[in-house]
Amino acid sequence: MRVLVVEDNQRLARLTCDGLGAAGFAADAAGDLQAADAALAAASFDALVLDLGLPDGDGLAWLRERRQARSVPPALVLTARGALEDRVAGLDAGADDYLVKPFEVAEVAARLRALLRRPGVRSDVELVIGPISFDTNRREAKAHGERLELARREADLLELLMRRAGSVVRRQTIEDSLYSFDAAVTPNAVEATVSRLRRKLEQAGCGDMLHTVRGVGYMLEERT
Amino acid sequence: MKHEQPSLEHRLIARLALVGAIGAFALLLFIAIEYGLTFSVLLDPDQLPVVTHELTEHVAIPILVLIVPMTLAGRWVIRSSLRPLEVQARNIDEATENERGFRVAVESLPREVVPFADAVNALLNRIDTASREQEAFAADVAHELRTPLSVLALEIERLDHPAAARLKEDVARMRRLIEQLMILAQLDIDMPQTADERVVLADVAEDVASLMAPLAIRQNRKIAVEAEGEASVTGRREAIAAAVRNLVDNALRVTPEGGTVTIIVGPGARIAVRDEGPGLLPEKLDQLRHRHRRADHASSSGAGLGLAIVSRIAASHHASFTTLPTQRSLLLDFA
Repeated sequence: MRVLVVEDNQRLARLTCDGLGAAGFAADAAGDLQAADAALAAASFDALVLDLGLPDGDGLAWLRERRQARSVPPALVLTARGALEDRVAGLDAGADDYLVKPFEVAEVAARLRALLRRPGVRSDVELVIGPISFDTNRREAKAHGERLELARREADLLELLMRRAGSVVRRQTIEDSLYSFDAAVTPNAVEATVSRLRRKLEQAGCGDMLHTVRGVGYMLEERT
Repeated sequence: MKHEQPSLEHRLIARLALVGAIGAFALLLFIAIEYGLTFSVLLDPDQLPVVTHELTEHVAIPILVLIVPMTLAGRWVIRSSLRPLEVQARNIDEATENERGFRVAVESLPREVVPFADAVNALLNRIDTASREQEAFAADVAHELRTPLSVLALEIERLDHPAAARLKEDVARMRRLIEQLMILAQLDIDMPQTADERVVLADVAEDVASLMAPLAIRQNRKIAVEAEGEASVTGRREAIAAAVRNLVDNALRVTPEGGTVTIIVGPGARIAVRDEGPGLLPEKLDQLRHRHRRADHASSSGAGLGLAIVSRIAASHHASFTTLPTQRSLLLDFA
């Protein structure tokens, strides 16, 4: 997976690239927006790590412009501002995710993997989270190499949780994506599907990866 | 504070008494000269009624007729002209500690006091400017620190040394502190009572829970939400979320491994965060509200600032921020 790191602080750029390299990405650095444009024109990247305060312009404005032309891969924005309002502004401008400085490379790598797991971003047929893998074409799941026998909804749920691994998936989101709008969903239908999936994961030895955030939703832990 | 100077009223009465005494003496003198009164006349018992009558008519009555109404009028003038000052003093007292742009209303004051009020306003101006500059400076410093801190964190990650883990913790602590500083600075800069969003508390609770659950799970702790009702409050969503985030952060800090932090919404416009720590006594909370002081049980990672932030946000939303030690909860009550 090829990533372009747009960051004007050379040391930070180099360290980020090195760290991403160690995490299995092929990372290139661009020191300003001009260099970023040149790199994007010269090669195809799967994702972008974008710092906001660049010497030749505002990263967000640049991103908004390029987004309208649909010529930019998914972007993870690094911001030094953080705190209260900037998150919202960043996501509005077309950033797919953001991370507040100072960050750890492991966190950048995890966020990038999450971005790349989003449906439609990359045509990878297999999702892999730790010992669990999921073939999105054949809709087959394996844990520690053993095949999991999943019903259709359980497979859909596992795919959803895997695509969002490392973050909480709300009950409502699960309901919306597992059931069609007109289907009558009983209040505990989601809970029932989750607990069936959990039992099967437990049997395969990875039940501890599925966490319940009571009153909110569920999360599949991403182990690195 | 004991005030040394006598009040205006006292002074007025004292001066009027003096003026009255001088006036009485002058009148006596005039009468004595005009009527040729001498001590021998005064001592003559037959003349006494005549003298007494003269003195009452020409000295006592005029003095009383002038001095008494003057005293009353003087007191009235003093009281009515000082009343606006009292009102302004009360307003100054009531201006909250974060309120920007508060000024003494000069138009309501008697002209004599206006220079003083103007001077007070100029001072308030200077204080506002100074604190705005200080906050902007704090925000700038925090901002500027982020990039070098990122570099530092990444360099440490590459270190293969037993001290690396400890250094990483230090960097994490600095990072938290910077985050809190920036939130505080931002609150101070743009917190004013302009926020008028309808914020559904249960939504905020779910947002915060899903944002913080991954971290909690990594630390082998759980987060749960118990929401009752659809209570909403008027305020700034991001700020309320920051307050709840800091409460959860604090709760995670005192909850042992395997424990659960629960965000409880309702009944009504209340959000409580329950931990599995020892419970926080009201006196301790009071200490923690004030920045830079830290409770004994809090780790050294800047939790003190966190609760100071909560306190600040609560105040700006007219919410009460209290501790329920027996329920191991901290409560934000917006009612």
